[in-house]
Amino acid sequence: MALLRKKDEGYSGDTVKLDGVGLRYDDGPEILADVSLAIPQRSFHFLTGPSGAGKTSLLSLMYLAKRPTRGGLTLFGEDVTKAKRDRLAWLRRNLGVVFQDFRLLDHMSAFDNVALPLRIAGIGENVVQRNVSELLNWVGLEDYKNAHPAVLSGGQKQRVAIARAVVNRPKLILADEPTGNVDDTIAMRLMQLFVELHKLGASVIIATHNEPLVARFPFPRLHLDDGAVTVLPPLGAASAAAEV
Amino acid sequence: MFGMRSDLPLRRDTASRFVLWLVMVLVFMAALAVTVNSYIGVLLNDWNQSVTGTLTVQIPMAEGGDKVTQAAVNKVVDVLKRHPGVSSAEALPRAKIASLLKPWLGDGAIVDDLPLPALIDVELRDDTPEALAAISASIKTAAPDAVIDDHRVWLNRVMSLAQGFSVLALTIMVLVTGALGLTIVFATRASLAEFAQVIEILHVVGAKDRYVAGQFARRALVQGIVGGAAGLALYAPALALVAWLANRVDPEILPNATLPMSHWLALAVLPLAAGLLAMITANMTVRRTLSEKV
Repeated sequence: MALLRKKDEGYSGDTVKLDGVGLRYDDGPEILADVSLAIPQRSFHFLTGPSGAGKTSLLSLMYLAKRPTRGGLTLFGEDVTKAKRDRLAWLRRNLGVVFQDFRLLDHMSAFDNVALPLRIAGIGENVVQRNVSELLNWVGLEDYKNAHPAVLSGGQKQRVAIARAVVNRPKLILADEPTGNVDDTIAMRLMQLFVELHKLGASVIIATHNEPLVARFPFPRLHLDDGAVTVLPPLGAASAAAEV
Repeated sequence: MFGMRSDLPLRRDTASRFVLWLVMVLVFMAALAVTVNSYIGVLLNDWNQSVTGTLTVQIPMAEGGDKVTQAAVNKVVDVLKRHPGVSSAEALPRAKIASLLKPWLGDGAIVDDLPLPALIDVELRDDTPEALAAISASIKTAAPDAVIDDHRVWLNRVMSLAQGFSVLALTIMVLVTGALGLTIVFATRASLAEFAQVIEILHVVGAKDRYVAGQFARRALVQGIVGGAAGLALYAPALALVAWLANRVDPEILPNATLPMSHWLALAVLPLAAGLLAMITANMTVRRTLSEKV
C-alpha cells in the first residue's frame, strides 16, 4: 500500500527539517521566526506551547497547507518550498493529519471518510474494502461504518479521523489537539493508537495543551513560544514507560 | 462517467440548481438560432436557383387596349425566341397573373378591373452581363415601354436581409456560448467557495487539483447535457408549432422549405456541445482558482 513513487520509497535523513523558517499571514507579524528543527524518522514528539504560539501554523507548514515565507522546509528529504502543487499532493499522501475538530466529511459515512485517501490515490476497491474494514475494527468502530459523522460521538469521530489519517500507512502523522474534544478515558485510548502507529514505524507529532497527558508518555517535547522552538525532554519519562 | 463517485456533495450545491435552468434556456435559444440560420440558407438557395438565368418582361397596358398590348407582347416574344441568348420566352396568361396576385388582392373582380401589365417569363441560355445588355436592347427596340426585371436588385436586397438574419443567428450563438461559459465560471466559483473546507480536506489527504477539477467537470458535463436535452425538449414543440403556422401561410408569400439533415444533426449535437463546453470551462475554472492558492 506504499503510496510514494518509486524514487520516494526510501529517503535518508530526517522526516521533517526546518531551517530558519519564518511564516507570516499577509502583511501581519511573523507567527514563526527562524524556526529550525529536525524530526528524525520513527520519532515521537509532543508539540507544546501557549495558545497562539503558532503550533497549528507549524503543523500546517508540515502538512503542506502553507509554504514558509522564508527559510527552508524539507519533507522526506525533499525541499518542498518550491515544489509544484502536484508534487505536494504526492507528498501529502505520505502524511496523516488529525484535527481537533475532526474535519470529517459530513455527507460521507465513516467508512467512506476513512476510505477517502485510498480512493484518491487510486487504490482498487477490493483493497479499499479490506483495509478500511480492518482499520475500523482496529479503532473499535466496525459497527459504525455506515454511520455519518452527525450521529457519532466526539470520541468516535476522532477515531474515524485517526483511521482516515493512517489508512495509507503514512510516514508522518501530525495531530493538532487530537484529544481536545474528548474525555480523559477516550484521550488515553486515542494516545494508545498513536503510540501503536509509532511502533509500526511512523514519525508522530502531537500538538497538545494537555500536560497531564504529555506527562504520561516518555516522548520529548517541541516547545513553541514567541515563534521559536525549543526541544525539551519528556515531561514524565519515569512513570510513562510502564504505561506505554 | 455519470455513475462515478463524487467526494464533493455537489448535488446540494445551491448554484447548480440554477445552472440547469440557465443551460435549458440557452440551448433553447441556440436551437432557435440554428433553425433560423438553416431556414434562411434553404430559402436563399431556393430563391437563388429559381431566379438565376431568368428575366421577367413587363409590357404596360397600352392606350389602344388589349389588342394593342397583345400585339406588343407577341412582338417581344417573337424577338426573344429568335435571340441566341434566350432558351425560352412565354407570355403569362392573365389567369396566371391573377393567381400570383391572389395572396394580396384576393380572387374577386378587382383583379379583372386593374390595368395589369402583360408579363413575359424568359429563360436565358446566357446570363452574362453582355448577353443581358443585348437582350434588353432587342426588347426595347420591339417595345420601348417594356420594363425588364432580371431580379438581381430584388435578390440582392433579399440576400442582404437574409445574411443579416444569419449574422444575427451567429451573434445569438456567440452570446449563448459566452453566457453559458460565464454561467459555469460563476457557478463553479460559487461551488468552490461553498465547499472550500471539503476541498481543503481532499487536498490534505492527497488529492491533486485535477482530481478536484474532475469532479466539478463531471458535474458540469451532466448539467450541460441534461439542461441541453431539456432545452431541446422544450424547443421541439415550439418548432412544430411554428412549422404548422408556416404551412398555413400561402407558399407564394412564405415558401415551404425542407430543413436539411445538417440542421437536425446540429440540434441533436447541441446538448453534447453544451455539456462539453460546461465541462471544459468548469475544469479550467477550478484548476485556475486552485492554482492561486498555496
